[in-house]
Amino acid sequence: MINHHPKFELIQAFVNGDLPASLSAGVAIHADMCPVCQQTIAQITEQVAEASFEEEYLDRFIVDDIEALDAVAVIDFDHMIDDIVESSDISVALPKVEKTISFNDKTYTIPTALSNMELGKHAHIGKLTRSRIQLNENEIHTSLLHIQPGGGVPEHTHKGFELTVLLEGSFHDESGEYVKGDFIMLDSSHQHHPISTNGCLCYTVANDALHFTQGINKLLNPIGSFIY
Amino acid sequence: MQTNLLSRPTSAKSTSMSDKINHPQLCQWLESVATNRDKVAFTHLFHFFAPKILRIARGKFPNEAQANEVVQDTMSNVWRKAHLFNQDKGAATTWVYTVMRNVTFDMLRKIQGNKEDNLSDDIWPVAEKMSCEDEVFEDHLANENLLDVIEALPQAQQDVVKGFYFREMSQEQLAVHLNLPLGTVKSRLRLALGKLKVQLGEQHD
Repeated sequence: MINHHPKFELIQAFVNGDLPASLSAGVAIHADMCPVCQQTIAQITEQVAEASFEEEYLDRFIVDDIEALDAVAVIDFDHMIDDIVESSDISVALPKVEKTISFNDKTYTIPTALSNMELGKHAHIGKLTRSRIQLNENEIHTSLLHIQPGGGVPEHTHKGFELTVLLEGSFHDESGEYVKGDFIMLDSSHQHHPISTNGCLCYTVANDALHFTQGINKLLNPIGSFIY
Repeated sequence: MQTNLLSRPTSAKSTSMSDKINHPQLCQWLESVATNRDKVAFTHLFHFFAPKILRIARGKFPNEAQANEVVQDTMSNVWRKAHLFNQDKGAATTWVYTVMRNVTFDMLRKIQGNKEDNLSDDIWPVAEKMSCEDEVFEDHLANENLLDVIEALPQAQQDVVKGFYFREMSQEQLAVHLNLPLGTVKSRLRLALGKLKVQLGEQHD
């Protein structure tokens, strides 16, 4: 059962469209598997929409009303309407085509939210395989990370945040067991050492390299930037 | 009395649907655009939504031209995608909000120099259910097989079948969209279904 969910503030930011694509996709992937969050998102969306299109709500933003009204008049609405209705095209919702990706001879379905994202080549270290998702979000790095059975990530902390959404399989760390659909958001106060006994595929987003903390693993710090 | 109290916090509709917006009217306009390409109804929708979208867009884009583009693109999508709105699955305001948020998201990504990749409709599907009250069971594998079989049909029949099943349009809506007499839509659908039955039957044997 899914135990880890995005917190309310994150869902709100998701609905508002304020999160970067990487995190938005993370929330969407989780919600696809989590009826509880799906319901929350539906309710917040309905409320935000309702509020957005109420006059009173909008008036709160208008400081210089007259100037704003003048500016509104700059757009020729009638012209815009004519322009739009002139086209008889309709957008056809194409039936979804499922995309898949293979890691170590196992094939996985790519979540809908990622279906038009560009995936980089696979890179391997030991039992880890990573495919970078090309979102061009500067210091935020997004990947699909595959762990073969018995593999794990050395003990590390995060300088920024690290989001893991479990797409398939399971892993565990000091805090417990994580299953398919779990949305695990960690920050620099967390230190962990995930191990996947039976293997797993994760969607990961991190805004800085991992920082390995233990003994010989400190030498591994360069691979922190490999994984995330 | 007690049931009322209990049901209040969980029901979004009863708490958020105010009387300040004439929801049935908005729905009717949207339906009318979808089924009849009704320009008058669209003009009503435009006058209701466009000034509000413009004000919201100004909060996100400092550039006036970009704010205008949000209005243009959002309302243009409303015109072209109205048939994807399903009033059983949410309010018209929720649907237009989704369209606007998606346009805004893709534009911001473009402006910030990320990419012009239009990811929003994958993250927040405009065509799908807005609320999960009615869980839809989707059999992906069956859908995929079905699609192969449908693609093998003559184009004219494909259009009808895809519209009817994948876009959940009524036969009447399809007749308008495809600019065909209703009888033609009905007979094409019947023909196509006959073929599909044979094909799928063979596959499952």
